Amino acid sequence: MTGDTHYDLEILAELAEGLLDDATAHRVRQHLAVCDPCGESLADLATVREMLATVPVPAMPLGVAMRIDRALAAEPNPFAIPAHSAPTISDIPVRPTLTSVSVPADEPVLATVTPLRKPSRGRRAWLTSLGAVAAAAGVFGVTTLATSLFSSPSGTVAEPTTSVSTPDRSPQRALAYTVRASGHNYTSRELSGPLVGYFGPEPGTGTNNDEQLDACVQAKSNELDRAPIAVDRALYNGNEATVMAFWEDQSLDKVRVVVVDDNCHELRQDGLATWN
Amino acid sequence: MTPQPEQPAPAEQPTAVGARPAVTDADLLTRHIGGDPHAFGEIVKRHRDRMWAVALRTLGDPDEAADAVQDAFMSAYRKADSFRGDAAVTTWLHRIVVNACLDRMRRKSVRPVADDELIEAAERDTPGPDQTAEREVSMEVTAALKLLPADQRAALVLVDMMGYSVEDAASVLGVPAGTVKSRCARGRAKLAPILSHLRNRTDLSRVSSAKGAELRDG
Repeated sequence: MTGDTHYDLEILAELAEGLLDDATAHRVRQHLAVCDPCGESLADLATVREMLATVPVPAMPLGVAMRIDRALAAEPNPFAIPAHSAPTISDIPVRPTLTSVSVPADEPVLATVTPLRKPSRGRRAWLTSLGAVAAAAGVFGVTTLATSLFSSPSGTVAEPTTSVSTPDRSPQRALAYTVRASGHNYTSRELSGPLVGYFGPEPGTGTNNDEQLDACVQAKSNELDRAPIAVDRALYNGNEATVMAFWEDQSLDKVRVVVVDDNCHELRQDGLATWN
Repeated sequence: MTPQPEQPAPAEQPTAVGARPAVTDADLLTRHIGGDPHAFGEIVKRHRDRMWAVALRTLGDPDEAADAVQDAFMSAYRKADSFRGDAAVTTWLHRIVVNACLDRMRRKSVRPVADDELIEAAERDTPGPDQTAEREVSMEVTAALKLLPADQRAALVLVDMMGYSVEDAASVLGVPAGTVKSRCARGRAKLAPILSHLRNRTDLSRVSSAKGAELRDG
């Protein structure tokens, strides 16, 4: 089959999948050896696969996740035996969870800003030196927040202090989190991780006096029912943005990334990223 | 909250945190059937993002996808005892989600369309080039996928987009591996002209931009 006649895309796609019988496959290959347009068609088919593979994985929007949780909560377990109490998994640590920290309402919020004063200074260097500390932080478990860990301005690391839930009955819940102001212009690709290089805590202190930002982080944390790992005031595709990272599943190194503008409007759908 | 060393990580990687979940999906399902009120919620938490991705790509519409995933999880919750240990829990969940999606698609009657109509429709659904390149590709693909018959779309979502093996996709879809291959082949053949058309259109519009000129002129 040479000359003016060409194979259609379907035959070529079947060839690529190994679906053609030997004789037909042989004939089509012979044709491909001499026919540029058919070769291009075959390349187009490969491009289709590549394009499909590069579409990023979307995270389930919060609203949908909450709707499903509510629907399931409203439905009694059809297998429950009313009289007996079966052992529940709540006694077994399935995976680490982040607990947000309660502090009395009249205490200042623990958010601190760590502005990136010298972007050229080796971020890599001090991050590596934090390795041992990070390991130590692991001992303190998931309720330890970075704010209190990395607040020393000199680059030496402060004594880890665990943030403690106070027994105060105050209904207001304040969050402790680290705010950076890197001004980095994030791309979607960078925000799919690993994020530790961008978000990793830096030495430096400051007070987050931006109530609007605070309210926004608070709102997102309430929606997600967990405290952020880190917050960065930066750019997203050239627009001013606040990027928040929350653990989605720490055991799987999965992070949910929320990107909002100054008015706390989401600039894109929540995405999933890796931390390390 | 345990910031971890930057990669390549030194040896101090905290071990307790990076561990795989100790409780398997099958354990959780067994507990759910045993009456545990929390077990199924954990299954949902583990798999909802993947189920969302499958449904959103198969249906191409967030509202439809949300309904389909919710229906699927509710159905799995109720008929958990129909799970037979011969497949992975994830495969079983995928099957329920994909079937929920296919049901929804079949309920809307889809008339066969000609190729040039497909391209026009994809063009209409694809926004202009003021998007980031990545987002653009993703929207193009979504628009183009919508034009495929349900069976081909479901096969391509599982194999090409989610990266599952043909065998896994076959057990999710409940058809032989050869059928999955041929649905993928026919789907790709249909997508190739649509996507290459959209790509050319995008490339043309890019050349006029500074960055495009830079790329073009080296």
